[in-house]
Amino acid sequence: MVVVVVINRIKSMEMNKQILSIIFLMLATLGFSQEKETAYKKRVLETIEVDLLSSFYFQDGDNAAVSGGIGTEELTDLTGTMIVSIPLNDDDVLTIDAGISAYSSASSSNVDPFDGDKPADPFVASSGASQADLWFNFTGIYTHSSDDRNELWSAKFSVSSEYDYFSIGAGGSYTKLFNEKNTELSVNGSVYIDSWNDIYPMELRAFAPGGEELDAALFFYNTISGNENYNPIYQQFDGTGRNSYALGLNFSQILSKRLQGSLAFDVVQQKGLLSTPFQRVYFSDIADSFIENFHLADTNEKLPDSRVKIALGGRLNYYINEFLVLRTFYRYYTDDWGVKSHTASVELPIKISEKFTLYPSYRYYNQTAADYFAPYEGHLSSDEFYTSDYDLSEYNANQYGFGVRYTDIFTKAHIWKFGLKSIDLKFNKYDRSTGLKSSIISGGAKFVMD
Amino acid sequence: MIKKVLLLVLIIISMSSCVVLKEYEKVNINDPDMVLSDQASNRNVSTFHSYREAAVGANGGKTGGGCGCN
Repeated sequence: MVVVVVINRIKSMEMNKQILSIIFLMLATLGFSQEKETAYKKRVLETIEVDLLSSFYFQDGDNAAVSGGIGTEELTDLTGTMIVSIPLNDDDVLTIDAGISAYSSASSSNVDPFDGDKPADPFVASSGASQADLWFNFTGIYTHSSDDRNELWSAKFSVSSEYDYFSIGAGGSYTKLFNEKNTELSVNGSVYIDSWNDIYPMELRAFAPGGEELDAALFFYNTISGNENYNPIYQQFDGTGRNSYALGLNFSQILSKRLQGSLAFDVVQQKGLLSTPFQRVYFSDIADSFIENFHLADTNEKLPDSRVKIALGGRLNYYINEFLVLRTFYRYYTDDWGVKSHTASVELPIKISEKFTLYPSYRYYNQTAADYFAPYEGHLSSDEFYTSDYDLSEYNANQYGFGVRYTDIFTKAHIWKFGLKSIDLKFNKYDRSTGLKSSIISGGAKFVMD
Repeated sequence: MIKKVLLLVLIIISMSSCVVLKEYEKVNINDPDMVLSDQASNRNVSTFHSYREAAVGANGGKTGGGCGCN
């Protein structure tokens, strides 16, 4: 009897254990699912991230636009940028992007080629005030993500300034993700309100309305050779403002476990002063005047006050294996100034170890000339518009690049409270069929706050 | 040109209907080098392109405003 009671008690205890186990499992499952729900709304950005970017750019060539398509294009530029991304809460991120660029330009120095120690010459840099300049930029971007992370809104404000240029910009974008985040569609728009400080080539300034013309000090202290009756066309621009309106669409799609691609379409309308006031033009039907070795301008650049640009681009990236990724890009561009262009690039990231990736790349670019372009002394004074800026000429360009990235996902190295996540170093060599050659060394470091 | 572009868009959209990857299937797609934009360290390279070349846009870089570039 006692044995039967004990057995029943044990069975009852086992049942209770089973019931308790089931309840525990249910609670655990509930707890797990609740934890899963909480984890589902992951913060868009876990912590503050800081990107430091810098670059050194050097170029040289013999077709400076400032001296009408002849002359040195030597230019050096040192740029530093800091991008700070701050999570404001689970859904919102504020990004501050500030940069400064210091450049020294031989051709810009020849806006006034007569203020240097050496005889004025388009192939020699003047040492005057226009030789160097600083460019500042500040951009603030606010981004909001929806709870399910399938929608993103962003708003942007920017200011940039250099000696002869000032710009204020604003814009926004909306992004929608579909198909379990396999498809992404976004639309963006921006407006830039820019203004020039209309700086003219030195020799033209005396011919502004009410100017002293040939009685000016420049012509008193320097002797004009060639055509001594120098009488250029002084181009009085209607205004110094330039407005740009841009609208962009972007569609991206995961195509397989290893392949994804995107299409981008941008249309930009620009209105206002699209000429660069200090770029000289020489007419073939006007007699040439010189001071020392410098050909005095017949006039300065004149371009239409409106331009519509259309660009259509696509990217296709293929994950070959754990060591190799193939990144490709193509763009077709056209505008109503007659420029048509193709750009194609390929990059092959090679992971040589857990921490190091190599980035060999190649980029090809070509463009047709703008309708208003002609080389040095290629224009007639009867032309409506004219420029000898070789950036608007017909050419092709090849760019070869190589880079290396160091990545440390555990951010072991620290500077104050910030752990180093990655370092990039890249070198690109760019050769243009016009003879312009340039090189750029760029570096970047990414830090995340502990 | 427009017909070719529309055809390309149509092909991509039709291909997209073939595959919908779950998050756990996106290991390769989520590789940092698979990102469908220019890398941050290339930004200054893109900026110098916008000064030296007439073509801009469709690459996430400058499109003609905010600088004295073309």
